[in-house]
Amino acid sequence: MNASPRRLLKAAAVAIGLLAGAGAWAQTAICYNCPPEWADWGSQLRAIKAKTGITVPPDNKNSGQTLAQLVAEKASPVADIAYFGVTFGIQAKKEGVTAAYKPAGWAEIPDGLKDPDGHWFTIHSGTLGFMVNVDALKGKPVPRSWADLLKPEYKGLVGYLDPASAFVGYVGAVAVNSARGGNLDNFGPAIEWFKALKKNEPIVPKQTSYARVLSGEIAILLDYDFNAYRAKYKDKANVEFVIPAEGTVVVPYVMSAVARGPNTANGHKALDFILSNEGQAIWANAFLRPVRTSAISKEAQANFLPASEYARARTIDYGRMAEVQKAFSDRYLREAQ
Amino acid sequence: MTRRRRHHQGRVDAPVLLALTVAVTLFTVLPMLLSVSAGLTNNFSRGLASGLTTRWIAEVWALYGATAWRSLLLALACVVVALLVGVPCAWALARSRSRAARLFEELLTLPVAVPGLATALALILAYGQLRGFRQSFAFILVGHVVFTLPFMVRTVSAAFARDDLQSLDEAARSLGARFVQRFLGVLVPAVAPSIVAGSLMVFTLSVGEFNLTWMLHTPLTRTLPVGLADSYASMRIEIGSAYTLVFFIVILPMLWGMQALARWIENAHGSSPGPRR
Amino acid sequence: MLLAACVAPAAVVFAAFWLLPMVELALLPATKGAATYFAVLTEPRYLQSLVQTTLLSAAVTLVALAIAAAVGLYLGRRSFAGRRLLLAVLTLPLSFPGVIVGFFVILVGGRQGPVAGFTEALVGERITFAYGITGLFLAYVYFSLPRAIASFTAVAERMEHELEEAARSLGARRWHLVRDVWWPALQPTALAVGAILFATAMGAFGTAFTLASRYEVLPITIYNEFTNYANFALAASLSLALGLMTWAVLFAARRFGAATVGAGA
Repeated sequence: MNASPRRLLKAAAVAIGLLAGAGAWAQTAICYNCPPEWADWGSQLRAIKAKTGITVPPDNKNSGQTLAQLVAEKASPVADIAYFGVTFGIQAKKEGVTAAYKPAGWAEIPDGLKDPDGHWFTIHSGTLGFMVNVDALKGKPVPRSWADLLKPEYKGLVGYLDPASAFVGYVGAVAVNSARGGNLDNFGPAIEWFKALKKNEPIVPKQTSYARVLSGEIAILLDYDFNAYRAKYKDKANVEFVIPAEGTVVVPYVMSAVARGPNTANGHKALDFILSNEGQAIWANAFLRPVRTSAISKEAQANFLPASEYARARTIDYGRMAEVQKAFSDRYLREAQ
Repeated sequence: MTRRRRHHQGRVDAPVLLALTVAVTLFTVLPMLLSVSAGLTNNFSRGLASGLTTRWIAEVWALYGATAWRSLLLALACVVVALLVGVPCAWALARSRSRAARLFEELLTLPVAVPGLATALALILAYGQLRGFRQSFAFILVGHVVFTLPFMVRTVSAAFARDDLQSLDEAARSLGARFVQRFLGVLVPAVAPSIVAGSLMVFTLSVGEFNLTWMLHTPLTRTLPVGLADSYASMRIEIGSAYTLVFFIVILPMLWGMQALARWIENAHGSSPGPRR
Repeated sequence: MLLAACVAPAAVVFAAFWLLPMVELALLPATKGAATYFAVLTEPRYLQSLVQTTLLSAAVTLVALAIAAAVGLYLGRRSFAGRRLLLAVLTLPLSFPGVIVGFFVILVGGRQGPVAGFTEALVGERITFAYGITGLFLAYVYFSLPRAIASFTAVAERMEHELEEAARSLGARRWHLVRDVWWPALQPTALAVGAILFATAMGAFGTAFTLASRYEVLPITIYNEFTNYANFALAASLSLALGLMTWAVLFAARRFGAATVGAGA
């Protein structure tokens, strides 16, 4: 009847849609969680394009969203590479969404910071602390310890990323936990601290909030040293980084090649670049600690806080951290939200 | 006739209603104005004193410009599909007395009740393996169609259910017109205002759709609302505002154009009891 | 026969792209055990989220309906220069994604916003309302008003005035007008629009996501489960619960509307 021309039209529409989508695939690698405003991924993506010709579109997911999306798309992945905190990398391997790949420069990565089979590997690490917009404090003293943040004078000024979905959120919880006497088997101190912090009406975003600190919307954010240094030295904001007096942790961020991604070869090239001298130097210039320490220049090093401050930052058992993450997330959502 | 009545209206409870209307207008408009001005100032926290600039708009256009066209085209495609699929369906549901029809009508409204995240997840799990489909705009289009179809069907079937239409249809049939002729020549024009209203609704819903699209999109098929969410979360407030301004500039002409078209069709078909904007 | 052919394309699209996938999704919780379906009832946190969402949506719907009815009554029965423009402006937010509304609330009620500056000048403290229940409520009302205003204005334009004029001439007080003249005329529209407002508010995700609100709504809870090590079974179970609750309220509203429909449905 009049059904056939209609069906034809619909088929045509779908075909056009498919073509439009397909055309964009030339020389592309899809990355999940490459936000331009985090760790200066913007520069890294531009460099990848310039040096290898591969376009990697930016993506604003956080680590939890990345893992969830990868698992949802397991049957036919959309992404080629993924970036997340180390515990999510470990979990991703368990879920079977990663592929083994050992980029050039593999040998230089310390053993504890890579999966022996190549399913994930550290590209850089950071130390967690307070990223403080001094101007936004409007005269109040810069907090120096975890205990300081609980003081009523900081009401409405504190923010932290959601510990249940963002890796940096989870790291903040682990950091305050170990600083206040807990360990990976006992998250009591962390839960107590978050509960106490609730009185200060913290802001809890789910995705990277670098710009909100610069604008003064969030005066004190639990974030990494590299984001704070970048704000201070690159964006010339009046931002200070504080390593809390009670101590904190250093954590690696890892990348994985996604299993059966659409552009595997391009993804590998991108990973190779990220681990190359040039790629690692970009992280160093962005104030991260590149995993290949040979890439840090003296100038970049000079901008970090003195080593005496960093003595309070410790590494922990990342494998165990991954194992207890889900239980902690559940507990946080239940008790401290 | 209605106009004459309106002029006798002076005795409507003016003060309270007027006050409320003014308050609502301010409530609606002030944030829009604030956002527009924030997108044009150099520094939001210092306000207008820091000077006006168009650099944020330029930056937004470079970063996110493509999302505007994607969303527009997606919305138009959604309207086309909703029309092709929904109008015949609306007629059938308006005419049918069967329980199956009522059940189907009920089912059609379910996508509105279920959260977009769930519908999107369901689509990915069901069709994610078809790689070409998954990575194309058709994937997002399908989600939009399923979500907006009940609005089109409900609006148009209400118009199709009018009794005078039945008699028109009967008259045409007794004159020997075949179904296609009757449908395209008599029925559709008679409900043209409703069809346009439905199309406007579908377009509006599609352009602003976020819940579904957020999960269905890929970094290469980002739409405007998804881009907006990204910019609000991680970019400067000035960039977020400039992006919002770009949204206005792109969407408003389309909306007003379609509304003007709606009024024109309404006038061309004489006064009809269809919903008016 | 003819009717079936006309419904067929819609039925195919709906079945293929919603019904079948949803059935698959509905079976997901079973993979973690049948008890997962009742997670919303057994886990206090989920139940609280569901209750909070329902209460918020109901409150927003009622407030939006009341305000929009007033505005609709005013605009629908007056004619003045710029009326059409005003209506267009008031219904503009219909095209906004929820994230824009969340952004507006942060702009106005966040730490950098005019309200904070105002309260600082007044009481010396920057008061922000964007991140709590107030901000969320205002945001939801913001995107609910336009739809209701559009509908009520349309109805008011077609309202018969003899009844009201008769009532007035008999000396009816304002309250009686509202109860006996306006309410019956507006009720069908109120129910229809209220249903849409309620459903939209229940499923709204973008606004709460942008606001990072302290008041947890179920769509955000679903997101939390989704990103918490890809816990799809629980996310699916909560989605079903949300869908069921919304559909139940819509169903009840339709029944109530059908039962009370008098002349002029």
